[in-house]
Amino acid sequence: MHELSLAQSLIEQILALAAEHRARRVNRVVVTLGPFSGVVRDSFEFGFNILKQEQEPVREAVLELETPDPEYVCRDCDKVAVIPFPRQSERLELARCGLAAKKCPWCGSNRLSPRGGTELILNQLEME
Amino acid sequence: MCDTCGCQLHEHHHHDTKVVEVNRSLLEANQKQAESNRHHIEHMGAVAINLISSPGSGKTTLLERTIDELKASCSIGVIEGDIETERDADRIRAKGVPAVQLTTGGACHLDAPMVHGGLHVLEHFAKGRPLDLIFIENVGNLVCPATFDLGEHRRVVLLSTPEGSDKPAKYPATFKSADLMLITKVDLLPHFDFSVEEAAGQARALKPELEIITLSATTGDGFAGWLAYLRGLLAQRTAHEH
Repeated sequence: MHELSLAQSLIEQILALAAEHRARRVNRVVVTLGPFSGVVRDSFEFGFNILKQEQEPVREAVLELETPDPEYVCRDCDKVAVIPFPRQSERLELARCGLAAKKCPWCGSNRLSPRGGTELILNQLEME
Repeated sequence: MCDTCGCQLHEHHHHDTKVVEVNRSLLEANQKQAESNRHHIEHMGAVAINLISSPGSGKTTLLERTIDELKASCSIGVIEGDIETERDADRIRAKGVPAVQLTTGGACHLDAPMVHGGLHVLEHFAKGRPLDLIFIENVGNLVCPATFDLGEHRRVVLLSTPEGSDKPAKYPATFKSADLMLITKVDLLPHFDFSVEEAAGQARALKPELEIITLSATTGDGFAGWLAYLRGLLAQRTAHEH
């Protein structure tokens, strides 16, 4: 639910940078959404695309989202595992097979602790 | 030929297109304000606690009893966040403590700029009386408040026994971001299928160093641990100042 306010602060940040670089318009915006940032990708994208209509310099801006895979530390064997989030369609399929729970690929434990991945970063802007 | 400038290049080319590496957090504005709030609070000589939980887990009741227990020994101020109404601030004021109600009008969390405004109003209500302890009661929500630093010194998450012991696993971002977890309403344990051990295990899987206190604001059971935690923070603050 807080994606809209984050999209709003992104747009404010972009407008300030565009003004600083004397750019007329922004073509491309690259943002990293960490897997544990608590931000829902689709809602954030939706919010950005609505809000950009209100500001001439970003009206045509294309938002590129980079979403790194989540990393976990296993509390039982201490190993690190990268376990990608399944896609929505796959999630339903996994749920149907009773396989929705994440497990450590090394020892099978379900005591996985998220590591890092809380970043929300404006990486790059292409403007003219 | 390029349509824009009439130059002789056959392919379209961009005019002064530049790519700027920014590499800044989207939360930068909030983070800056949060740092400034923390500075402001320290300048006031106070310590601030951000209370996060789902609606109805007992944040305001916890504060009422905390005020009763600590009012004689330290001066407390409260910033209340809710979508609507002054109900919580009225409950706190009834205890004789200055309270500011921030109504977000729909927003699901408090952010640092809102709290900044709240701090100024709180100082106004305190009428020059210095505050030792400032509680910021966030909007009842176990999801969105986790993302926003308000300038607090400690983040405390409440989990009440009727909610079920699986909440840390279901809402990892919030529990991982907390410094202390309070398991509240333990007087109701006999009536609910809640396992303190399971809740603590799940929370510590997310954050091994998380402190955990179980208590009931109704019976006072376990409350001494919470008061000792607060007194510890106040003592650290004094040590820091000297």
